[in-house]
Amino acid sequence: MRSKLPVLFPKRRYVVFRLDSEEEVASKDIIKEIHSVQASLFGDIGAARNRLKLIYHEGCFGMLRCRHDHLQQTRATLASVYAIGGVRAALHIKGVAGTIKSAREKYIPQLSRSGAEDDGRRIELEEVSGCIVRIHGRKIDLCPDDPNRTRGSDTRYLGLTSFDLIGGHDDADGTSDGL
Amino acid sequence: MSFYLWGAKALPEGSDSASRLALAARDLGYKGLIICSCEPLRVFRMQASRQIKGIEVEYGAEVDVANARALHSRLSASRAAYPFLLVEASSEEIINAACESPNVDALLLSADRRLSIAAARAARQSQVAIGFDLSPFFRLRGSPRARWLEALRRNLGLARKFDLLLILTCRARSRLDLRGPREILAMAEVAGFEPAEAEEAMQLPERILKENKRRWLGPGVVLI
Repeated sequence: MRSKLPVLFPKRRYVVFRLDSEEEVASKDIIKEIHSVQASLFGDIGAARNRLKLIYHEGCFGMLRCRHDHLQQTRATLASVYAIGGVRAALHIKGVAGTIKSAREKYIPQLSRSGAEDDGRRIELEEVSGCIVRIHGRKIDLCPDDPNRTRGSDTRYLGLTSFDLIGGHDDADGTSDGL
Repeated sequence: MSFYLWGAKALPEGSDSASRLALAARDLGYKGLIICSCEPLRVFRMQASRQIKGIEVEYGAEVDVANARALHSRLSASRAAYPFLLVEASSEEIINAACESPNVDALLLSADRRLSIAAARAARQSQVAIGFDLSPFFRLRGSPRARWLEALRRNLGLARKFDLLLILTCRARSRLDLRGPREILAMAEVAGFEPAEAEEAMQLPERILKENKRRWLGPGVVLI
């Protein structure tokens, strides 16, 4: 029997996303959560029509395959992800391409592993104080001394930038970026 | 297309500073960010957010009061100071009072609040935009989300009938609550908005800001 011609295959799109999470999460947890969200939002029939497959995930970037006529549904599915494996997270779509090659070239940077570094330093300001958990460029994640600081937002860490720290404390012996 | 994100809460009411929210919003492709806190003067390091290049950061005020009288006095006190005034629909009395006041820029309908016909008519006359908070879309699951979607569709139907201004937000309290403009459009489409309607709703905050930043000397007279 002759196999189906490639032109008769359903068209696919490759969605590149950026993972923003408080801790590292495993690939299997990501796809498990995406399937769970999709089934909750569109039901089994909707999930069957748009079979999502995780093609690639490394560091904070990933690639998902979907049907080209269900792109909006895929966007809504990814936007509905609230936590992955109990870790607060969000998936932001970087772009969509027609082939894996072009998706990689256009949207996934060469050094996709996050340049985050663990830090033992503290921030002591009048308004907030706590231990620095992660620094990534100008972004700083801070574990506050007062856990009530993050109440209502459902997160563990406060998000600051180095702009917030410039001129923060008279006795600070930090660098020009405020740290 | 230029989209503004509005209704975000920064430290101390949220968990991220204004500059961090601005960085995240810029990365997602927004042109501007309107931070709406109940106490805007207490926002942590407000000036730091102005140093973020590539995004306009504005500070609006969220008016959260118990009764209509307090609402009117807070609105008239805040109007001159803030370019964007938001009222959260906490009770029917507040909804009616907010819809009747031309000082209100957006009335944010929460999950269980329904717009009445009288309020919709008043909102049309006062040009109050009806804000739809899409955060329950990703915060809730199962039957609570189904109930929320039902209430949203009912309010949306009424807003369409009276041709009200619509405005969309994801009501971010942290960077992890932020969603990109296309993601918000996709969520809105799934929730029942027409694509063109959702797009217009995403562009409305910029128009409101532009109007409110004009210096009106009197009815029909603008200081240029």
